[in-house]
Amino acid sequence: MSDARLRRVQKEIKDCAKDKTSQISIEMVDESPFHLIGAFPGPPDTPYEGGYYEVDIHIPDAYPFQPVKMKFITKVYHPNVSSASGAICLDILKDAWSPVLTLKSTLISLQSLLCDPVPNDPQDAEVAKHYLTDRASFTATAKHWAQAYAQAPASKQKPVPGKQASDAEMAGLAESNVQSFTDMGFERAKVISVLKKLNYRGNNVSNIHESTVLEELFK
Amino acid sequence: MSSDDEANDIYYDDDDYGDDFDGQAGSAEDESMSEPDAEGYDVLSPSIDDLPQKKPYDVTYKVRTVQEIMDMQNREVQKIHALLDIPTSTAAILLRHHVWNSEKLQEAYFTDPEQTLLDAGLSPPSSPSPVKRTRSQHTVPFECPICCMDFTKEQVEDLTLTMGCGHRFCRTCWTEYISGKIRDEGESARIQCMGEACKRIVRPELVDELVPGELSKKYHNLLNAAYVADSPSLRWCPHPGCEHVIECHQVPPRMLNQLVPTVKCDCGRFLCFGCGYAGNHRPVLCKIVKMWEKKCADDSETANWLQANTKECTKCQSTIEKNGGCNHMTCKKCKWEFCWVCMGPWSEHGTSWYQCNRFDEKSGIDARDTQAKSRASLERYLHYFTRYANHDQSAKLDAVFYTTTENRMKAMQTQGLSWIETVFMRNAVDTIIAARITLKYSYAMAFYLVRNNDTEIFESNQTDLEMAVENLSHQLETNPEPDILMKMKQDITNLSAYVKKRSDILLDDVLTGYFEGRWKFTVTV
Ligand SMILES: [Zn+2]
Ligand SMILES: [Zn+2]
Ligand SMILES: [Zn+2]
Ligand SMILES: [Zn+2]
Repeated sequence: MSDARLRRVQKEIKDCAKDKTSQISIEMVDESPFHLIGAFPGPPDTPYEGGYYEVDIHIPDAYPFQPVKMKFITKVYHPNVSSASGAICLDILKDAWSPVLTLKSTLISLQSLLCDPVPNDPQDAEVAKHYLTDRASFTATAKHWAQAYAQAPASKQKPVPGKQASDAEMAGLAESNVQSFTDMGFERAKVISVLKKLNYRGNNVSNIHESTVLEELFK
Repeated sequence: MSSDDEANDIYYDDDDYGDDFDGQAGSAEDESMSEPDAEGYDVLSPSIDDLPQKKPYDVTYKVRTVQEIMDMQNREVQKIHALLDIPTSTAAILLRHHVWNSEKLQEAYFTDPEQTLLDAGLSPPSSPSPVKRTRSQHTVPFECPICCMDFTKEQVEDLTLTMGCGHRFCRTCWTEYISGKIRDEGESARIQCMGEACKRIVRPELVDELVPGELSKKYHNLLNAAYVADSPSLRWCPHPGCEHVIECHQVPPRMLNQLVPTVKCDCGRFLCFGCGYAGNHRPVLCKIVKMWEKKCADDSETANWLQANTKECTKCQSTIEKNGGCNHMTCKKCKWEFCWVCMGPWSEHGTSWYQCNRFDEKSGIDARDTQAKSRASLERYLHYFTRYANHDQSAKLDAVFYTTTENRMKAMQTQGLSWIETVFMRNAVDTIIAARITLKYSYAMAFYLVRNNDTEIFESNQTDLEMAVENLSHQLETNPEPDILMKMKQDITNLSAYVKKRSDILLDDVLTGYFEGRWKFTVTV
C-alpha cells in the first residue's frame, strides 16, 4: 500500500503546485515526500491578515487512512493553536478525518480556523480565556504576534501603530497592570507569566483579588 | 427491500413477549430457568436455581459461551427482523445503534422509519440495495480519490464499490481502510463510509467480503465484545485465557452498596460481577476494594518494608525466612515462638486473647498534636495494611505449598494410605487459601469501618477465623511421625471444617449486615 501512499502524495504536491488560485503552497523539506512544509497567507479581515503561516506536515505510514500530522511552525496567537508548540486542535486532524481529505483541503481548513476560532474546544486554554474575556485586547495581541512572527507588515495592521510591541502587549496585558506588580519588586517576566495565567485582563481584573496574584507570585 | 440472504427463517414465537433471551424454539425448554426479569432486580426474592442452598446475598447467574452470546444477538435480531419486516443485517445495525434496546428502536421506527435508518447509518428503504449484485453499465472511467489509481469504465463494476451513498472508491482502498479500522482502532459496529462526513455504516457482509480470515474473525469478536459491553446484564470473565461471559440480571449498579456479587466462572475461577474484579473480594464492597487498592498503590513506598519476606527473631536477632503461610513462627536457633504479623510472643495469640487483628484506637485518641495524629493515622493504616498484605502473601506462599503438599501426599501413600485418603491434604490447602483471601479483604473492610458494637462482632469473627487458619496452617507444616498419621488426618480434616465454618460465619455476618444496613463506613459507598 506504500506505493499508493507515495502516488497519492506526489499527485497532491503536483496538483497544489498547478493551482495558482488557492495561494496554498506545499514544499518538500528534504528528499522525502513524507515530510513537507505547507504555507498560506493569513486570511483577510482577521488579526492574521498580511502574515504568512508555515505548517509542518508529516505523512504517517497509513496515510490517507490515518490523518496527516500538522502543526504550526509560525507562532500564532489563537485559541485552537498552542502558543508554545504550534499544536493544533481541529476535528479533521483527529476523529473527523476522512481519507478523501487532502493536504490542500486540510491547509484550507487551517486557514478558515484562523477566521473562526472554536474557544470552547481550545488547544491553548490561556489564549482561549483571553479571547472570551476581552476580544479587543485579544485581537490586538494576535496582531502583535502576526507582526512579530508572521512578517505581517505594520502598514496592513490598520489600528495598531507601527511600533515594536512591548512584552506586555505581546502577552495581551495592560502595561499599568504589569507595572503595579513590578513596582512591588517582582521580576517583570514572572509578573507577566502569572497575570497571563490568571487572565488578568479587562473586566476580569476586578474579579481577581490582589492576594491571589501575590500568592501566585510567591510560588 | 430484501437482499439475497433474507428470504429464510422468519418465524413468530407467540410466547415471546418478554425481553428474555430464551425465545428460540427448541432451546427454550432446558434454558427456561425463569430468569428474573431485568426490571425486577429483587435480590431477596426466592430465585429458582439448581444450587441447593442459596444465600440471600448470592446472585443467580449463568455462564455463557461466546456461541450463546452470538445466539442471544441473533434472537434479538430475528425478533426485530420479523416485527419490522426488515432484512436481518439491517435489524442488527439498528439494534447496535440503539444499544440493543429493542423497545426504543421499535418506537423510533414506527414513528419515522426513514429517519431511524438514516440515523443508524443505513440507506433509506427506497434506495437500492447496499452491495449491488446486479451488473450495471458504467459509461465513464474512474479515478479512485484515495489512491489515485485509474480504472477503465469496464473495470469500474468489478474493482470499485459504493455503499449506496454515492461515494465510490476502489476495492483495494476499501479493504485497506476497513482492515485498519479493525486492526489498529478496534472498531466494529461504527465503521463508516470513507466519504467526508458521510455517516453510512459499513455492513458486516461487506466486511466479510472485503477483509480476509483473521480480521473478519476479529471484527466479529469485537461486535460480540461491544454487545457484552453494552449489556448491563453481561460481563466477560476477566481471567486470562477464558472466553466465558457471565449473565446476571440481579446487579444494577445501585445495588452495589449492599451486595458483593461474587460468581464462579466455568473456568473454575471467581470474579465479581459488580466490578469485574478477577477474584472473590468478599466481604468487602466493590467501591471499597477499589478505594483500598488505590490507597495501597499510592502508599506502597511507605509500606514496602512490610512486605519483605525475611524478619529477625525478636529474641536472638537471627534472620528468619518465612516459607509456608503459617504466621506462628519459631526461631530455629533460640526456639522463641512469635507472631509473624505483630512480632509479639505467640503465647499471647494461641489462646484466650488473640488481639492481632484489632488496631488499638486509643493511641489515636491520645495523640496530642497534629503530627502525632498524622503518625497515628499512618500507623492505623499500616496496621490494617500489614494484615492485608500478610494474608495476600501467605495465600501466595500457600499456593507454592501445594507442591510440598503433593510430595507429602506421595510420601503418605508409601506409608499405607491410598491416594484418595490423602486428598484431605490438598483440600486443607484449598480451604486455607480461600480463608486467607477472605481475611485479606476483611482488613480492607475494617480500615473503612466506623467503630461500634457491630464492628466488635466483626472483629471477633475475624479473630476466630485468624486463629482457625493459623492452627490449620501450623498443623499442615508439621511433619507427623508415621504412627500418628491417621490421627493427623483426623485433626486436619476437623480443623479444615472449622476454618470453613468460621469463614462462613464471618461472610454471613458481613453480607447480611449490608442488607440490614448494619455497617457504617468512614467513606460514602
Ligand atoms: Zn483506491
Ligand atoms: Zn458515503
Ligand atoms: Zn472464566
Ligand atoms: Zn466487585
